[in-house]
Amino acid sequence: MTPTTRNISPFLDPGPRTKANSLAILQLSRDNLLPVYLQPPTGEHDGYAEGAVVNTRYGSFPHSTMLNVPWGSQIRASKVDTGSRGRKRKREGVDDACREATGAAEKENEDSPAATNEDSATAVKKAVADASGFIHILPPTPELWTTSLPHRTQVVYTPDYSYILHRIRARPGSVLIEAGAGSGSFTHASVRAVYNGYPAEGERKGKVFSFEFHEQRYHKMKKELSDHGMNRLVHLTHRDVYNGGFLVDGKSPEADAVFLDLPAPWEALHHLSRRRPQTPLNGNAAPTENDQTEWVSPLNPKKSVHLCTFSPCIEQVTRTVSAMRRLGWVDIDMVEIANRKLHTSRERVGLNLNFDRGVNNSARDVEEALTRLVDIESRFREHAAKPRDGDEDMDSADEDEPAVVKGDGPTNGGQAPSAEETAAETAPWMEGRLITRGEPEIKTHTSYLVFAVLPMDWTEEDEAAAAAKYPLGKEQKVIGAIDKVARKQERREALQKQQGAGNRKARRKERDTKMGEAAA
Amino acid sequence: MHSVIRPNAWVALKLPSGSTKVLQIAPNTAISLGKYGSFPSNLIIGRPYHLTFELLDKLPDETFSRLRVVTTNELYAEVFAEESAPDCATPAAGASDTVISATDGEEFSLVDDKGNVIARSNREVIDENARQTLTQDEIEELKREGNNAGKDVIAKLLLSHTALDQKTSFSLAKYKLLKTKKYIRRFQVLPIDVATFAHWQLEERDASKIMDLRAEMIGLVGCWGNVHFGGDDVLLQDPKASTAAGDEACLPVDEDLLRGRWLVVDDTCGLLVAAMAERMGVLYEGEEAEAEGETEQPPASTENSQEPQTSTSPPERTPKDADTEMTDAPADSVKRQSDGKPKQQKPRPSDFSIPYSQTNTITVVHGASQPNLSLLNYWGFDITSPNHPPHPLLNHLLNLTWLQLLKPELDTSYSTAPLTAAPETLASWKPSRRGNFHRKRRRYARIRHVVDNTRAGNFSGLVCASTMDPISILRHTLPLLAGGAPVALYSPSVEPLAALADCFSVPRRTAWVSGSVPEIEGLSNEELERWQGNERFPLNPTLLQGVSIQTSRARRWQVLPGRTHPLMTERGGADGYVFTAWRAKPAEGKVAAKGKFKRRKVDSEATTPTPA
Repeated sequence: MTPTTRNISPFLDPGPRTKANSLAILQLSRDNLLPVYLQPPTGEHDGYAEGAVVNTRYGSFPHSTMLNVPWGSQIRASKVDTGSRGRKRKREGVDDACREATGAAEKENEDSPAATNEDSATAVKKAVADASGFIHILPPTPELWTTSLPHRTQVVYTPDYSYILHRIRARPGSVLIEAGAGSGSFTHASVRAVYNGYPAEGERKGKVFSFEFHEQRYHKMKKELSDHGMNRLVHLTHRDVYNGGFLVDGKSPEADAVFLDLPAPWEALHHLSRRRPQTPLNGNAAPTENDQTEWVSPLNPKKSVHLCTFSPCIEQVTRTVSAMRRLGWVDIDMVEIANRKLHTSRERVGLNLNFDRGVNNSARDVEEALTRLVDIESRFREHAAKPRDGDEDMDSADEDEPAVVKGDGPTNGGQAPSAEETAAETAPWMEGRLITRGEPEIKTHTSYLVFAVLPMDWTEEDEAAAAAKYPLGKEQKVIGAIDKVARKQERREALQKQQGAGNRKARRKERDTKMGEAAA
Repeated sequence: MHSVIRPNAWVALKLPSGSTKVLQIAPNTAISLGKYGSFPSNLIIGRPYHLTFELLDKLPDETFSRLRVVTTNELYAEVFAEESAPDCATPAAGASDTVISATDGEEFSLVDDKGNVIARSNREVIDENARQTLTQDEIEELKREGNNAGKDVIAKLLLSHTALDQKTSFSLAKYKLLKTKKYIRRFQVLPIDVATFAHWQLEERDASKIMDLRAEMIGLVGCWGNVHFGGDDVLLQDPKASTAAGDEACLPVDEDLLRGRWLVVDDTCGLLVAAMAERMGVLYEGEEAEAEGETEQPPASTENSQEPQTSTSPPERTPKDADTEMTDAPADSVKRQSDGKPKQQKPRPSDFSIPYSQTNTITVVHGASQPNLSLLNYWGFDITSPNHPPHPLLNHLLNLTWLQLLKPELDTSYSTAPLTAAPETLASWKPSRRGNFHRKRRRYARIRHVVDNTRAGNFSGLVCASTMDPISILRHTLPLLAGGAPVALYSPSVEPLAALADCFSVPRRTAWVSGSVPEIEGLSNEELERWQGNERFPLNPTLLQGVSIQTSRARRWQVLPGRTHPLMTERGGADGYVFTAWRAKPAEGKVAAKGKFKRRKVDSEATTPTPA
């Protein structure tokens, strides 16, 4: 029943090291991520002697250097001949020179585990380290995938889906319906949320039932899911849910939570009822064959179901909420998520700092400005006080001017106390004040999220059964908001009891008993 | 889980005033809602969550109110009336006939008066007190009489308001809402899950206790920490060590079995741990058993159903045992208390058997000698309790102090060798002394296991919400993380996180890898991973990648026909920030990154190759 380790999706358990034929995320720079399916070294690939190669602005990275290394590893670029692919190799000599030059690096590569699996592929040219740059190789997570996936539609980003999954109570073991699979970012995040092991035959485990209307997107998504080892965790259906509903092979998925990323959620909502809606919501959406057969609800009959719809426009929200109210959803709540990323940097302001980028060369504070003004003033006075001869005034003024400017540098530097401090001990990365500021461009609106809950169906018979099981008339105590007199009385009684039964051990025992009862 | 309200379950009662009461619903008690009245708890036990109940008027011979389920048609009657009003744009009004018909035909009597009210200008100023002809005494009198769950009071209040017809539809709606909140006797029962609980703790209780951890932040921290179900339980084989055996008989750490473990520093009294446990499927117990209702022999709970591949589970947690625990509840648990252990065929585990799973665990590092996880009590878990009744957190929650993690040799309980005694000697002792002997040996074995396993590292992620300086936390926890493991730190304010992010700033990292730092020269990668920091480099800046700080805020809206807008006020206070990054494994030696520029051929010849 437990699948062998190799079948587990790298999103759910990547293992300690990178593996062939598995997804890895290459981090080129902070926000520049590249998803790559690592290929085993099987000889020349696409003209590259090293096998499959990833080319980036930080250099070339043969897959062989990224296989079987610990996740998170920093990978050096390799010297890869990208120019002469397919053509006759002209630059043989150059290549040899490189090889010689990087002999030391090559030796190190031999020691690294990446280079040790050569027996399997003798034909593959061994990679040679290059100084052009490096990348980091990260295990795939829904967050990394969301920022690096190939966009097919608008993507549900992490700030939204993290909040949604929390609110719709997607937990290990939940069954979730997602309509509008789109680019799959929400699908991956929800698989992680509901995953509690791969299901054995006929076993109910956490699962995502995903519906996609667009055929091409459906096929791409299907491929992606199998590449990511999520085949058995996601049931993807190609269907128009407005008309087709949410049943899978005529059976109910018994969903605990629903996420609708559709242009018109209200047209799909009537399928998500406990009982057959008396007449279909839309005249055209009347599946006639359903009328004869028994109507099956796609929802879990034993639980309250949580729903979230994701719509960018307020008009969509109004219609959705209106439909929700009529279909018996409660706790309807609409929110909008505003997420901001913050950058930290060092802000350096001062007159005597160098002219690096990002340095503001104006006075650091009033004192510094004052010192400078006094300085200028005094020199001006000095200059004015200089005795001058009438005939050479024009020339001397011209000569004097640059002299003042020349003198400005050193005097200024000498006066400011800050210059000495910074120059002496502080490292350049510790100078200035630490500040945070937002990104240059922020997402101010993604979509409106409408949350709602549909309670269990509760009939007269259920109520009668519950009433028989928990009969009235044995009430002994009052809990909750009780008035002052009653509470005082209760406390007095408790105190007496405590004094009687006394010690810590007894109290602890009592608490254990209580918890035992609660647990049962 | 959370299908119907179980006896003794913790629930949240949502009252019309907007406030929430969190109660443990003991059977056979009366629940008082203050001014709204009281009702017997047995009237909600066994009923579904999220229904809206209304307190009915007391019958003449009863001292309590009975309850009635309020249909959604009733709840939304006003909105429906507004939508069907002629001048209101009603998007889904045409759909009104599709509604599942109300089983209860009772209508809110005011709707008819109201449906026709059209928007007016608010030229005439209305002073509410002046225009209300009912006196306070009269209102009190009305409340005392049978008053149809408060609706009569509201109706009378509105009808005796002399200027009602001068109100605009907006102010009328507001006035009515105000009076409804005050007098209507309705409530809703919500399950205590992390989302509901955190909201209540934040908005109505002590937000500082949970460090102002908002729902948005719980979601972000959980996702960026990649917290999820970490694999089926793997329990270690009982070593069956005799009581004469000491330290050497303890189970060694098997690093190959360790998977799906998260490291936590939690100063939110356990809310963060609860949120993570919820994401890992170890917070609620007997989930499936509950879903089965009261049927006999429910399937084993999720944790138990997965037979570990490598070993057997200890007797205490076998599925069979869990079942008996579920079915014949209170009587059995009392018995369990009285004789310490339930009667069972299987022999009790030896002192050195380890109850903890090797996978899917949460390891809490705490600053005091005991962790403060008091909020877990709401989910039936008390970390201070010995002989705890079964709970999934028991074998998935590990805790140790910073002392045990960093200087275990100074910790008495870790460094003192376990007591030993030959079986004959043991048999001659008094039961109490024998009990103490076993207890101490068990405790030793557990502490040793937790400390050694934690120090073995390779954690799948680090999640933090702590008042401690994050730099100091990372200094000691970064070496314990597996490569590529995510780090997610929450802080109510941005400053500590900014200072932390600054430790990984580009200039700092560049300086570090450039090789011009005298203090790290000649250190191996191993030593650099455990870099203890100095003023210039508080942390090894190459150990984290993708450092980023973010904040999120949900803005709530009111959605009503013709009156949709964001709420006017919301909770202020701390915004909350999340620091995220991934653990990197820096390459050995100096790494050059000069970029690839075509025109700088001269340069490439000049550079020396990367030294080994």
